[in-house]
Amino acid sequence: MTIGEHLDALHGLPSFTFPGPGAPTDRLPEPDSVAWRLNSDVYDADEAWADTFARFRAAVDTNRVRALIIGAWGDAYDSAPTEIFEALVEARDAFPALRAVFVGDLVMEECEISWIHQTDVTPLLNAYPALEEFGVRGGTGLEFTALRHGALRRLVAETGGLPVGVVRGIGASDLPALEHLDLWLGTPDYGGDSEAADLEPILSGARLPRLRHLALRNSEMQDAVAAAVAAAPVVERLEVLDLSMGVLTDDGAVALLSGQPLTHLKKLDLHHNYLSEAVAERIRQTLVAAGVEVDLDRDDADEDTEDDGTVWRYVAVGE
Amino acid sequence: MTASAAARPAATASSARTGPRFAVVGNPENRRVSLFTEAVRAAGLPAPRVVAWADVLRARGADFGADEFVRVDSPGENPEVDRLLRGATDPTRVEGSARWYTGFTAALRTLRGGIPLADPDDLAALFDKRACHAVLDSAGVPVPDSPTSGPHGARVHGWDDVRALMREHRMPRLFVKPAHGSSASGVLAVETAGGGRIRATTSVETGPDGALHNSLRVRRYHDERDVARIVDALAPDGLHLERWVPKASQAGRAADLRVVVVAGRATHAVVRTSRGPLTNLHLGGSRGDLDGVRRAVTAAGARWSDVLDVCERAASCFPRTLCVGVDLLPAMDWRRSFVGEVNAFGDLLPRLTGLPGSGAEGLDTYGAQVAAVLRAPAGSGPRHPYRTGTAHA
Repeated sequence: MTIGEHLDALHGLPSFTFPGPGAPTDRLPEPDSVAWRLNSDVYDADEAWADTFARFRAAVDTNRVRALIIGAWGDAYDSAPTEIFEALVEARDAFPALRAVFVGDLVMEECEISWIHQTDVTPLLNAYPALEEFGVRGGTGLEFTALRHGALRRLVAETGGLPVGVVRGIGASDLPALEHLDLWLGTPDYGGDSEAADLEPILSGARLPRLRHLALRNSEMQDAVAAAVAAAPVVERLEVLDLSMGVLTDDGAVALLSGQPLTHLKKLDLHHNYLSEAVAERIRQTLVAAGVEVDLDRDDADEDTEDDGTVWRYVAVGE
Repeated sequence: MTASAAARPAATASSARTGPRFAVVGNPENRRVSLFTEAVRAAGLPAPRVVAWADVLRARGADFGADEFVRVDSPGENPEVDRLLRGATDPTRVEGSARWYTGFTAALRTLRGGIPLADPDDLAALFDKRACHAVLDSAGVPVPDSPTSGPHGARVHGWDDVRALMREHRMPRLFVKPAHGSSASGVLAVETAGGGRIRATTSVETGPDGALHNSLRVRRYHDERDVARIVDALAPDGLHLERWVPKASQAGRAADLRVVVVAGRATHAVVRTSRGPLTNLHLGGSRGDLDGVRRAVTAAGARWSDVLDVCERAASCFPRTLCVGVDLLPAMDWRRSFVGEVNAFGDLLPRLTGLPGSGAEGLDTYGAQVAAVLRAPAGSGPRHPYRTGTAHA
């Protein structure tokens, strides 16, 4: 799988791309009615991102803007969006209603996920204490320093490899309002160098009292993640557990089933998996009967077997 | 292959009595030939005379009656013809396309008489991506930037040249295409970034002997030495480089269009979508939703008729060729499109019927071509100077 489509909404608001240079801006939607998508081009941009942002600020009453989606920026395969983060931090007073930001809404045709360069996202979160939703795509160069954020309800990091520093930074953060945490752990090939033990502060739930939706997915070590989740204190407060998109085999699924009961969940998402039919059936018997919605779609999880018997399995989104 | 002026009155007289006669130069066992034959018969005409490429090549030519409309179809997918044209003993081999081109363009000029439905000069340009790019570009048809366009473009002798041109033209992401290839044969989609990072997506694989083969599986190469080895092996046949313009997507897959233009009019279109940069159907691409594309174009503030217009302008660069298949690359925002390729044999879209308002509703691409010939004044050939202001539904 690859990332093929831009976000069509953020924070419940439909995405609207701010028109490019030269296009009319006299018939724009109400500032608070859409998630504004600010986009430059990765290659051969008609306009530098800073100029797009300046035009946006001139054309739209930013006092009422609730959601921003940052799309492509120039040379995203080589350059972190440092300037974008700085501009957003600097403009904090002009965006008093901003509640949601997503940085890096690039699709494969623009830049593969692991080629997207990112940066330290912490200053943005600190600059917007009322922010309720933050998402980022791309793990290369991504940093997250432990912080306290009292409003953040939803945190998403989509990567082909999530650096251990980010996992630890999030784990060490106080996020009393956080309801939805979605981490794509990825593979060591693309910088995903965490181990299951690094997830412990998240799995303890000590700093995440309101967590209802936990996704630890797209992981090459999905079995180890599943085993760690099986005994994790945070699970009892969850409505949705998502261990999809990774290399989940029977080992991980059996460990998960052998742990604490999961029958209180509304949904268990295990799509893109490498499970045998026997184990998939055990999961259905145990959970579907108890009223849990279970997604066991194998999707495009295909194994490659070499002549010497070596089996290759892949996460859903790697490079 | 030009009909003499003196022959034309005879063609008119004959047509008036019996209706036009068709001949098709192709590989008789190929479904292209059977589909065209079906279309001719469906128009109530006698089946076309089939002239085998193998016979043309062995006999060094073929003669056509003054009143015969001569369709030239692909010489592909026939091992013997492939061997005669490029000396290949293995049809999956990628190399030899320059020799193929020389043989093919020479063979076109041995087709004598008749009323040609494709022009040798047009075909010579269509089967040289560097020439084709320059023709389109100079006609103002939007095409991706290329440093190898036309006779004055850079010539690429190997991977080092590609690297140099990438630097010089700030092209970190590009398509490397054999100048005379078709159907994604030998095409590499190359991405690079700092720190020596590289990825090439291609259907080419290297055999144990170092020979290059097309496969039906798309491969990714991450080692620059592998990429260099492949490109170095392809370069002697001529290479064309083009900027990789990020394509629009549909249902999470990159999308492009194949638009068939017959006698100046865009008649048929399909959407092809893929999870990777190569959308060819035999490489795992799949048909997308054309109505969805029309909606996306409109929603982006562009006009569907402008999309078809780009294709017709591209086709109008080859005015003496009845039918071409235009590969149109919609840019990410759906507001602009670029012509990626123009294919002389781009009409193999079995059972697809024509676009609403195109005049080819209910006809497949072959039926549309037969109808276009029947519509044209007898003996006038396929000339269809492009007209602006054509209305599209």
